Amino acid sequence: MLSAILSQTWVRRNAGTLWPLLVAIAIVLGFQIANPAFLRYEGIITLIYAMSYFLIAACGLTFVIMMGSFDFAVPSVLKLAALLCVMYIGRFGFFAIPLALAVSLGIGVLNGVLLAYLRVPSFMATLGVSIVVEGIALYLSKGFLHIMYDERFRALATTFFLGLPTIFYWAIGIWALSTFLAICTPFGRRTYAIGGNLIAARLSGINVEKQRILVFALSGFLAGVAGVLYMAQLGGGSMLIGSDMSIPLFASVVAGGTALSGGSGGPHRTLLGVVIITWMQSGMLMLALGRDIQMVIFGLIAVAVAVATMDRKRTRVVK
Amino acid sequence: MKGMTPILEVRDVSKTFDSVVQALDNVSIAVYRGEVVGVVGENGAGKSTLMKILAGVYAPDRGTLFLNGKKVSFPRNPKEAARRGISIVYQERGVIPHLRVYQFLFLGHEERYRGPFGLRKADMRKEARAILDEFHVACDTESFMYELPLATQKMVEIARAVLGIRLESRGEEVTPVIILDEPTAPLTLEERKELFASILRMKERASFIFVSHIIPEIMEFVNRVYVLRDGKLVAHYDFSKDTVTEEDLFRAIVGRESLAHILSEEESSVAPEVVLQAEGLTKNGAYYDVSFVLHRGECLGLFGPAGSGKSEIIRTLAGILEFDKGKLRVKGRDVSPDEPPYIRLARGVGYCSGESGKELFFHWSIAKNISVVNLEKVLHRHFPVIRFKREEEMAKTIVEKLGIKAPSVHTDCYSLSGGNKQKVSIGKWLERSPDILLLEDPTIGIDVGAREDIYGVLFEMKRRGIALILVSDDPKEYALLCDRILVMRKGRVERVMKAKEFQEMAVV
Repeated sequence: MLSAILSQTWVRRNAGTLWPLLVAIAIVLGFQIANPAFLRYEGIITLIYAMSYFLIAACGLTFVIMMGSFDFAVPSVLKLAALLCVMYIGRFGFFAIPLALAVSLGIGVLNGVLLAYLRVPSFMATLGVSIVVEGIALYLSKGFLHIMYDERFRALATTFFLGLPTIFYWAIGIWALSTFLAICTPFGRRTYAIGGNLIAARLSGINVEKQRILVFALSGFLAGVAGVLYMAQLGGGSMLIGSDMSIPLFASVVAGGTALSGGSGGPHRTLLGVVIITWMQSGMLMLALGRDIQMVIFGLIAVAVAVATMDRKRTRVVK
Repeated sequence: MKGMTPILEVRDVSKTFDSVVQALDNVSIAVYRGEVVGVVGENGAGKSTLMKILAGVYAPDRGTLFLNGKKVSFPRNPKEAARRGISIVYQERGVIPHLRVYQFLFLGHEERYRGPFGLRKADMRKEARAILDEFHVACDTESFMYELPLATQKMVEIARAVLGIRLESRGEEVTPVIILDEPTAPLTLEERKELFASILRMKERASFIFVSHIIPEIMEFVNRVYVLRDGKLVAHYDFSKDTVTEEDLFRAIVGRESLAHILSEEESSVAPEVVLQAEGLTKNGAYYDVSFVLHRGECLGLFGPAGSGKSEIIRTLAGILEFDKGKLRVKGRDVSPDEPPYIRLARGVGYCSGESGKELFFHWSIAKNISVVNLEKVLHRHFPVIRFKREEEMAKTIVEKLGIKAPSVHTDCYSLSGGNKQKVSIGKWLERSPDILLLEDPTIGIDVGAREDIYGVLFEMKRRGIALILVSDDPKEYALLCDRILVMRKGRVERVMKAKEFQEMAVV
């Protein structure tokens, strides 16, 4: 009976979506059984807060991974944007937001230029840039905790509408736009093309250099948006914002079904990956598990999800 | 050959897959001592199935096998086939690049050379040398496989097949029958010649079944040929007795007239307008002082052996390589030496290669692969949004026009056969219709039927006023398609020939 269901063609064709969905449902059910508070209203709000800013940053990263590159600067850009907001909103008012976004975009462009014109592998370039950005963030914040006193700014993320905080709608809106951008526009097509077959992309008349810069700019920009909204959600923060975020970010993109080799997957997939990863983290927090056990479980599940979701039949080279 | 007992004979072999697809239908072939027998047919004609049955990979539904006149059962696995003297050398992936030659030769038979202190390498090397000498393979037993030229790699593979038979048959007298499954597909013209010469030298010691779809190769090289079409044996020619033309063989393989006959009668489509002009084009180390003009609707061939600079020139025109000196003008405008392919394409210069995987996005559907160079045509009028309906229609038109065999336009390209992949490549350029299309080996490794279809498309392109530049391995292709041919040697243009002159030369 089960094998009959599994052998149906549409099941096979949609395995890339079904697997993460099953994993997500299993996680939710598992935590619900372990802790009945998990799916109560307060619990759900916690889960929404945990996933929303994360989803925005992950959407940007998805484009980079689709293109076959890496962006390790996303967490530090997110951190810098958040800190810029909280520190300058007193002085500049709401202009602090465009400032933070412009800086994030600029860092994205820098990453893109390093890859496209100086031919530094994105892996190295973004790692290096992320350390520079961390340094700047440390210099600006002096390592202190900064508190956000502007309630109007906080309202950007924390106003409730139909029972859910606005940051959720921001995230879903950006996710929907990213999905549209990836699937329905030449921009998305070019991104997939570069990740799928770089030589063929060049020969098909794609301006690879320009596209790489645009995609990194988008990733930087969305990391900035995520940082700004996250700061509005938290109402204050220090250098701790966005630390230890790299691995969960990559794990959520891969768990969703965007292969690190590039050319497949997409932002539509990333939603499920983000749900799996962030809800698992929140669930373990709610169960008050020790940090040590959390790390072990999280690492195992990140690998297991990658094993379950990757379409390895079509991936010829595994690096 | 009449009167002799064939060393290998199969009678009335049939094989059905999934109880529906009739892959082989009562096919009989025979192989005599010391001869090279051709088996030809299009992809899907049943050649590979027949060979795999002989090699013990598949079991036939019906049929009988005779070895040296004795009726025996079909081999149940490749090892058993080797014990009886039958071994197969596959088209590709037969070589393990990081093994040394002697290690590769004895791969799977190491236990025979186990000594008290590991393998007896000195013995292995000595015996490897002996068998390589026997087959006139000139290479060092210590070389790594990847260091050898492709033709030599093939020879080592053949030697290994014979060696495998000898080791498996344990001293019994068997005459090896080696099946070569499209051995020349990855080779250049010169490498092919070299391989043939070597195989002919080996005829004394082994018989060969040569599977191919390259007609000139078959005509030149084999003693007899069996033609398969749709799982049936449709013809058998003995070249020592029958007078057979390439056209006869073509008709037997494809089951219809050759287009080449009809197309070559076509009127010239060359218009006076110059679309591309090169003056003293030079790339140090590759080609020097190359000058030519290309007219609208003309096909210009760059002809020469590998290393003559022809590939470098066409890649320079595509924007993949830069040039060092000289002038290049596209539609009257000077272009800079280092501009990338996307600028060249915007100027109207497209590049199409037959090299597998260079041009296609394998995990994309046919529709996406066709629209990738035609995105402007499928966009919404006001917004940069792809209209999937239009993309699908465009792909359907091309698929129908070129006869691409696929379940739908949404089928992923990696599941298509080589010929159909190549048709997708050509089809997207037909839809785009650039002013100039550069063709590098447009029909490499695909069967005759698909090849003809592609020639048909190229002729249509010429009629539409697209100028073509061709680089290929096949002189016949130049003779058929080109209006003028630049003959290249060592990076320089040796002479320019009209199509007529070249055709006369190609016949000789």
